[in-house]
Amino acid sequence: MGRMSKSHRFNPLFSKVVAVLVLVLGFLAGTGAALAPLAARAAPRLPTDPAEVLQRLPMRPGDPTARELAGLRAAVARAAGDDPLPATELAGRYFELAMARGDPRYIGYADAVMSPFAGSRAAAVLAIRGKLRQYRHDFEGALADFAGALEADPQFAAAHAWRGAIHLVRADYTAARTECDALLALDRPTLHGGCTGLLLAYSGRMEAGYAALQRALDGTREADNRLWLLTRLGEVAAWRGQPEAAERHYRAALALGIEDGYLLAAWSDFLLDQQRPAEVVKALAGWEASDGLLLRLAIAGTALKLPAAKAQVQALADRFAAAKARGDTTHRAEEARFQLHLAGNAPAALAVAAINYREQREPRDARVLLEAAVAAKDAGAAQPVRDWLKASGFEDARLRQLGAMSAQAGSVASAPPPGKPEARP
Amino acid sequence: MKAPRIFLGLFACLVAWAAAPALAHKASDSYLVLQVKGQEVAGQWDIALRDIDFAVGLDANGDGDITWGEVKARHADIATWALGRLKLARGGDCSLQVAEHLVDEHTDGAYAVLRLTGNCPSRTQDLALDYRLLFDIDQLHRGLVRLELDGVPHASVLGPTSGALNLKAGETSRLAQFGQYLVEGVWHIWIGFDHILFLLSLLLPAVLVHEARRWTGVRSFRAALVEVLWVVTAFTVAHSITLSLAAMQVIELPSRLVESAIAASVVLAAANNLWPVVERRRWLVAFGFGLIHGFGFASVLAELGLPADALVLSLLGFNVGVELGQLAIVASFLPVAFLLRSTPLYRRGIFVGGSVLTLLVSLVWLAERAFDLKLISA
Repeated sequence: MGRMSKSHRFNPLFSKVVAVLVLVLGFLAGTGAALAPLAARAAPRLPTDPAEVLQRLPMRPGDPTARELAGLRAAVARAAGDDPLPATELAGRYFELAMARGDPRYIGYADAVMSPFAGSRAAAVLAIRGKLRQYRHDFEGALADFAGALEADPQFAAAHAWRGAIHLVRADYTAARTECDALLALDRPTLHGGCTGLLLAYSGRMEAGYAALQRALDGTREADNRLWLLTRLGEVAAWRGQPEAAERHYRAALALGIEDGYLLAAWSDFLLDQQRPAEVVKALAGWEASDGLLLRLAIAGTALKLPAAKAQVQALADRFAAAKARGDTTHRAEEARFQLHLAGNAPAALAVAAINYREQREPRDARVLLEAAVAAKDAGAAQPVRDWLKASGFEDARLRQLGAMSAQAGSVASAPPPGKPEARP
Repeated sequence: MKAPRIFLGLFACLVAWAAAPALAHKASDSYLVLQVKGQEVAGQWDIALRDIDFAVGLDANGDGDITWGEVKARHADIATWALGRLKLARGGDCSLQVAEHLVDEHTDGAYAVLRLTGNCPSRTQDLALDYRLLFDIDQLHRGLVRLELDGVPHASVLGPTSGALNLKAGETSRLAQFGQYLVEGVWHIWIGFDHILFLLSLLLPAVLVHEARRWTGVRSFRAALVEVLWVVTAFTVAHSITLSLAAMQVIELPSRLVESAIAASVVLAAANNLWPVVERRRWLVAFGFGLIHGFGFASVLAELGLPADALVLSLLGFNVGVELGQLAIVASFLPVAFLLRSTPLYRRGIFVGGSVLTLLVSLVWLAERAFDLKLISA
């Protein structure tokens, strides 16, 4: 370029316009070239080999579970809509499968099986409907169904237990106490111990809650019950700052040999808190199909900088996108953790965690909201959790510390009013 | 004897997972894409093989694996079953046929892909769609429908209680969508102080000439205008490119890196005014750093969410909005700067003072973003 000043260099305007156009076209062509392989990868294809396996089914027709389901379906067909009991049994079996495998398709099957009996007031029908509704986070509907079941059968202990569990999830401890007391009145010590133990632990009496769960455990030989109680004992021990006791409970639960998604999730969270990600990777090998467990696996893998972690994070992003596309909102707590710990998007994490906390208010829901609020430096958003910590007196030191941190986390506009500092009871 | 039964079932499914670890458990969805243009219907319907198996049975040999051969043998049954549960009407029922059977993968496994063609009695009337696939056996099933009626896109999630869709012909929703994203674009350039400061740092010297190691005012307004146009155009072209690439998820960069680089670009642009290195072809600077700013716009757009059914149009709207917002800034800046260009107020106060201030602010941003600190609120 010449040494002329700029003011004289605008004459060949036309050539400049042409240059810009060429530039733009060049980049558009580049963009197209970059997009082409993406489109090619997503394209449907025509397989050539008839023996190519396209899809592995969750079970073979000859498997015991499949045969059992086939028998139950046949019974439903024979009843032809007159008797709801076979349908209730089949739906209950589907519900168990959904819980054990973390596979929501079975919930949809159960819903469809029960749909002809929408008008029924039978206790068993209402109970299964309540379970299906709570799975979809329709807590109001579920509470009403279990109440209806109790109207039909006042001795229906499981309905009280479910109502208690839902109230605990929503942090309505007064209502939960009523259900726990009802279980005592029905002389169901194990259910009562579980209900009361959690209620006490959530509402600021951790030691008494731990003791109640321990008593319930001592009183039952049934493996399913022991699994559940040991898992919850592990959680409570960890909140109390007793990692050795927690680990003992978790290991005892794992030793029962019953695969359980909730246990694996709680055990993994414990290990992550203990900075032991390598053991998470070992414990969760083969569980990638469950969103919740894949989340823990990806967090552990990312901490260890494993090569597989990248694909796991991408898979989670795809799954949350797919869930969003169908309007599914039951995985908000997991999505918040994903956004916070894996996507590094604190504002998005905070938004999801805050919506989740309106619906579910267990300690883990509280924790992710506090963590997101601290990361996003938004004190106001965590106010509901600090209110809960204050009202419940929940004793987990980690959560209390997060609560205090979140109160000082900037965002002057939405900070809590002075005079409401976090106080330890 | 409940425990052993559960255990066996779990064992079976663990074996399956070990074989296909990347596949998720997810509620059932089908993906229906339809284009209705006049009387003509074309489209594609992706239905999970697992769902088809549950409805009509595909595993002929009972080994738990669905092979291409097993699917192929049932193509006619699959077409009859699926098309019997989808009704399209425009001035009467439209005919629908499966023109081609393919397969594809989604997050939860393999899907049958039905390529659809059809014909409707009317070319202008409203369109009605009735979707009833799988609802009788799976109430959590959803039909994710994207439908283009005479070029106007619609998207819906259809469920057991909302399986019907009625679309008015000739709706102008596309224009409304474009307008909505245009407004967002204008808004986001106005509240994006880092983008504005970068642009202003490049524009401040546009009314000046650096000759013999000192700044003097340009002689003609046209000279200043051409310089401004070059800078703004280059910035625009550059950030349009990266914004589009990022929005279409061709390139993704970590937001901390992008934000830090944007802050660095403001630092350099302001520093260049105080200690000139690049004096000519400032548009090249605008272009280079514009590429980075585009990624910044993209993160804003990601928070807004782009409608999948009108991605290009919304992207265009957002881009045009950003440009209009920019032009408004330029239009109010340039005449004032040109009038003041020869005064000490402009050359010392606005040009030097403004650049120093911009430099300081952007240095703080850079520190904040690069080291994840909170010094001043951004």
